Amino acid sequence: MNGVLVSAILLLALATVSVRRRSVAIAAVGLQSLLLGAGALTLVSGRSSGYLVASAVLAVKGVVAPALLYALMRQTREPRLVIAAHGPLVRLALTTAAALLGAVLTPSLGLADRHVERAAVALLVIGIMIVVLRRPALHQLLGLLVAENGLSLLAVSVPGGLSYVVELGALLDLVLVATVAGAFVHRIHLEFGTGDTEQLRGLRD
Amino acid sequence: MTELARILVPLAVGLPAAGALLIAFSRSARLCDNVARGAGVLAAAAGLALAAVALAGDGPASGHWYVVDGAGGLLLGVTAGVGLVSVLVSPGYLRSAGRSWVSSAAAHRLYYVALLAFWSALAACALAANLAVAWLIVEATTAASALLVTFSGSRGALEAGWKYLVLTTLGLSVALLGIIVLAVSQAKLGHHGLHALDWRAIHSAAPLLPRHTALFAFVLIVVGLASKVGWAPVHNWLPDAHSEAPAPVSAMLSAALLPSVVLVAWRARTALGAGLGAEAGSTVFIGFGLISILVAVPFLWKRLPWKRLLAYSSLEHMGVIALGIGFGTPLAVAGVVLHIAGHALAKALGFYASLPLLRGDRRLGHVAPSGVAAGSPLTASAMAVSLISLAGLPPSPLFISELLILLGGVAAGDVAVVVVAALALALGFLGLVHVLIEGVLGEPGAPRHAAGAHAPTHGGGQRTLALSVGLAAAGLIALAVCGVALPGSALIGGLMRGVG
Repeated sequence: MNGVLVSAILLLALATVSVRRRSVAIAAVGLQSLLLGAGALTLVSGRSSGYLVASAVLAVKGVVAPALLYALMRQTREPRLVIAAHGPLVRLALTTAAALLGAVLTPSLGLADRHVERAAVALLVIGIMIVVLRRPALHQLLGLLVAENGLSLLAVSVPGGLSYVVELGALLDLVLVATVAGAFVHRIHLEFGTGDTEQLRGLRD
Repeated sequence: MTELARILVPLAVGLPAAGALLIAFSRSARLCDNVARGAGVLAAAAGLALAAVALAGDGPASGHWYVVDGAGGLLLGVTAGVGLVSVLVSPGYLRSAGRSWVSSAAAHRLYYVALLAFWSALAACALAANLAVAWLIVEATTAASALLVTFSGSRGALEAGWKYLVLTTLGLSVALLGIIVLAVSQAKLGHHGLHALDWRAIHSAAPLLPRHTALFAFVLIVVGLASKVGWAPVHNWLPDAHSEAPAPVSAMLSAALLPSVVLVAWRARTALGAGLGAEAGSTVFIGFGLISILVAVPFLWKRLPWKRLLAYSSLEHMGVIALGIGFGTPLAVAGVVLHIAGHALAKALGFYASLPLLRGDRRLGHVAPSGVAAGSPLTASAMAVSLISLAGLPPSPLFISELLILLGGVAAGDVAVVVVAALALALGFLGLVHVLIEGVLGEPGAPRHAAGAHAPTHGGGQRTLALSVGLAAAGLIALAVCGVALPGSALIGGLMRGVG
């Protein structure tokens, strides 16, 4: 996959960990999914139909998911800014360090393009870091999508393509999980008056 | 066996799914109850019949998408048994549940659709002949079970459901990374497409895989699945989800979901075994097993609410199962089989006992029980049978299974691990006996602490509970008797040749 495209996908993931506004974060993840879809399309010619499936999968993630998340965001307005545990620069620095560490420490996965391997692992790590560092529930949901995009980047780069059954099955699972997570975000707002997951710390032993 | 399996496999998976579909279009709560009962009975009959075929058969039967072997049969039987009882006790739970996060009209529908879909996915998981398909099914259980965990809509349930959803989804992403690494390796060997990830295809290709690639993929897969099993240190969701979910769902989570995911990890180890080397696969399982037991035991000594205590006991017992798989000797594998069955029966009974317990005193969702026998002898007897079995007090089948696993560890030469595990299990045993004496049989404390002292059950509920306790106790003793005969049996011989 084109190096510029992969870099843009990574930068958009890093933007998601640092931006304050939920709408900007949704747009960043949506654009990331679209770029990933475009990248998958460039791999289609003369290759397995699995790539076409992957592109369709990513288009759904790039258009439908962000639209639904935007609607969810409109229904769950925050009464005040959710105070972050760490500032944007600290979050960015921590995430970049973790992603670099993950990418460097990961042994060769066997793909022809080592950069794609490293970018995919970095995206997975960034997704995990978004969940760890961001307190709003909607941001944590976006973290899951970023991690999933890392796996999609790797999947479309498998020689001969990953089976379309796995691609479509993973999409269905993602849609199910995101739908349930969206419903939870809505419910958390109703119950707590905010999407701040710091409120979800009542269960202790 | 193959012909019978071909008929029963779609029924075992399809009947609960069909029941969920029917309930989605059912209007009244009573109709939902009745359809769920009917679907549950039929699905359990199919699941138990297939389990009997698998456990009695002389070898695995397989089709394009499924494999019916001893390990899968065991999990099918557990899922069918626990699924049926969970469906049958659900109307009682729903009548007394109080609130839900959806409207009361939709609550019955949502509950049963999610429960039966969850059941269907668990049955499919036990039968999946392919690593990627097994992963898809495990991931699919997340959405249904998360909805069930948050069913009450309380703040605690929302917290538990959110944690469960996020942590297990992230964990399974790591497992998928491992699967893709394996797919890349298979592609380089010329094996493309979905069936390159069949258990058999992986097993055949494993000796040809570069060792570091096989090991890296294996570690990612098992670490990812560990988050769904709830093995320590990636177990944070487990106590919350088990304690906040409705009791029939907690029983399904603990007795059926956790070991079903363990089975996928076990199959991955068997399939990749030749590519991993003798020690590597064992070390990962033994590590998770030992850490889980050591993390769980201190909590078994705490004064915890009943369902939360059972959740930490699940952590301990999943650790024991991991140890047995890690040791991998015939004795240990016999112990694993017996442990999965015995744990399912004892733990499910424990969670079902929480229904009359919480109906009698809702505070018991948040405080430890005390002197339950004084107010409700039947509930106390259910709790006692569950606790005695889970603690591993003879004649509990879990006493025999733990003994088999530890002896299997000695046979494998892991004496130091066996010593540490035996000490930890002894401490866990004492912790649960302490709960039995203080919480169940002891005197009710001061009113503020005497939660559970007045948790009566009435009429039909009493008869059902008495019957359940009797059946569970008889089942546990029968399992213990069968367990003695397990080492050296054809079933264990088949499992030693490989699961999947």
